Amino acid sequence: MNKYNPPRMNPSSLRSRFATRFLRSLSKINAKKPTASSSSPTEIFRRYRRIKVAADKSMAYSVRSRRTWSRAMLWKLRTRPCCRRSVKTSTIVRKTRHEKQNKNTTTTTGEDGVVFGVEADELRELVPGGEAMDLYNLLDETAHYIKCLTTQVQVMKKIADFYSP
Amino acid sequence: MQPCSREMQAMNPLLNPAQQLPLQDLQSTAHQQIQNPHFDPTASHDDFLEQMLSPLSSCSWSDLKSPWDPPKSDETGPPNVGFHYDEVLASKLRQHQINGGDGGGVSSPATAAIKMMAQQQMMLPGRGVAGMPLSLGSSGAAGSHHQNDIIYGSSFKSPNQQGGEGSMQSLYNGFSDGSLPGTNQTQHFQHPQAPNFGATAGTVMNQSQASGSMTPAQPKQRVRARRGQATDPHSIAERLRRERIAERMKALQELVPNANKTDKASMLDEIIDYVKFLQLQVKVLSMSRLGGAAAVAPLVAEMPSEGGGDCANGGGSIHRNSNGNQTSADNDSVTVTEHQVAKLMEEDVGSAMQYLQGKGLCLMPISLATAISTATCHSRNPNKGGGSHPLLQSNGEGPSSPSMSVLSVQSATRGNGGLDGSVKDAASVSKP
Repeated sequence: MNKYNPPRMNPSSLRSRFATRFLRSLSKINAKKPTASSSSPTEIFRRYRRIKVAADKSMAYSVRSRRTWSRAMLWKLRTRPCCRRSVKTSTIVRKTRHEKQNKNTTTTTGEDGVVFGVEADELRELVPGGEAMDLYNLLDETAHYIKCLTTQVQVMKKIADFYSP
Repeated sequence: MQPCSREMQAMNPLLNPAQQLPLQDLQSTAHQQIQNPHFDPTASHDDFLEQMLSPLSSCSWSDLKSPWDPPKSDETGPPNVGFHYDEVLASKLRQHQINGGDGGGVSSPATAAIKMMAQQQMMLPGRGVAGMPLSLGSSGAAGSHHQNDIIYGSSFKSPNQQGGEGSMQSLYNGFSDGSLPGTNQTQHFQHPQAPNFGATAGTVMNQSQASGSMTPAQPKQRVRARRGQATDPHSIAERLRRERIAERMKALQELVPNANKTDKASMLDEIIDYVKFLQLQVKVLSMSRLGGAAAVAPLVAEMPSEGGGDCANGGGSIHRNSNGNQTSADNDSVTVTEHQVAKLMEEDVGSAMQYLQGKGLCLMPISLATAISTATCHSRNPNKGGGSHPLLQSNGEGPSSPSMSVLSVQSATRGNGGLDGSVKDAASVSKP
């Protein structure tokens, strides 16, 4: 078995942070999951969900709270799986207050505004936490989100290539 | 990756000077226009009137609006800028007071005058901060500026309060005659330069008379001044905002492949499609790692690795081949799969799609499936209830799978327009 030597890269770059976190969570998932029952579809589905959540969570944690989308994603990940437990109202209050702060919905006039209004909503749905942002910040968040998504995809591809020859 | 974010962060401080420049230009030109007439006191009053009416009418309006723009508050221009903001704030404060004062009635002119002079006296110590060589000119400018602001305040109120305007008129008449009592009056005469004040009083008189004569035209005059100005604050703000958005779009264009810089709308569509594609890639890659390190379930995602461009073209179509070498040759397993998918579809279409992907299957519109089947003569198309349901087709049929998947990729790229439409139709039908 070849030893996978990671290429010399900046240890504090987004890519390395995400890679280390994701590999750690992957090993956790593989450790606690018995490989026998991986054939049933629901089991596969559950495992897929767990991996995807792990990937998104490690991505969001690598960005910390520097970005609106990462904060929104972390909040979503924290509250969604714990729907059975009682969700702490403090987090909800914090989020709504934060959303109110971010709320600068300005109506753009002119032909640019009319066009952007339609697609901006679609972009808001795609980017987590984009509902309460004006177009300018939304574009900024989108740029950072695209960058992080490409990093995520590259790392995951490399891991997949390594594990399945 | 990091430099990219740093570049984008560096863009922000770069943007601010770009924003500051036009405003500074506006204010510097306005200042020159204010200050020139004051440095030339020998000109006639009519010239003063023309010179000061046109720039000051715009300048007062724009200056009143300028404190509203938060990012422009950190300018470090000449001291003119600093005094301008103080003065604008004070003018607004004063107008507020005058508005409050004018509601009082006949006794208001004196109180308004006293308030105005108190304001100006408050302003003047502030002037000293601006620097000695500029203090005189600036105080003169401030004086005239204040009065023009007062005039505007009165003109704004004219439709509402005729009494108020009448009182303002009497106030200015009082100034010209010098009949107003009080030592404040003498101080007011002494602080600015006398000819400047005379000029400003003359302009004030003329303007008040003009306002008195054309009372119904005051709003028209205001609107006319506003429309004529290309440097209107609203349009400035809009223009700056559009420029910022355009810069962000340029930055996004570099990130997104297929950057045809023709149209903003199409660029935004590309961005949306690319984000969807990336999210789908993450999903598919997380499916492909289901086997983990030990037990490998070889769901190698062909689409994301080779069809990057294809996927981007394919847009939001839900048809994907995440497949591989899984062989589900038995009819029994196919029917079992079908039942599972039907069950999952009732609850959530997304989960059904994911389950299919886990099996190495995909959803495909019937037209595409028939095209593939006629092309390759592999007829394994179990229809579910005719055309209303999407079609299941297994792509993992041993040696033919790579060719099948490649074929479907090719046909997907070729028939993109139709594919998207049909897939969307299928998706819309299947979703409750």
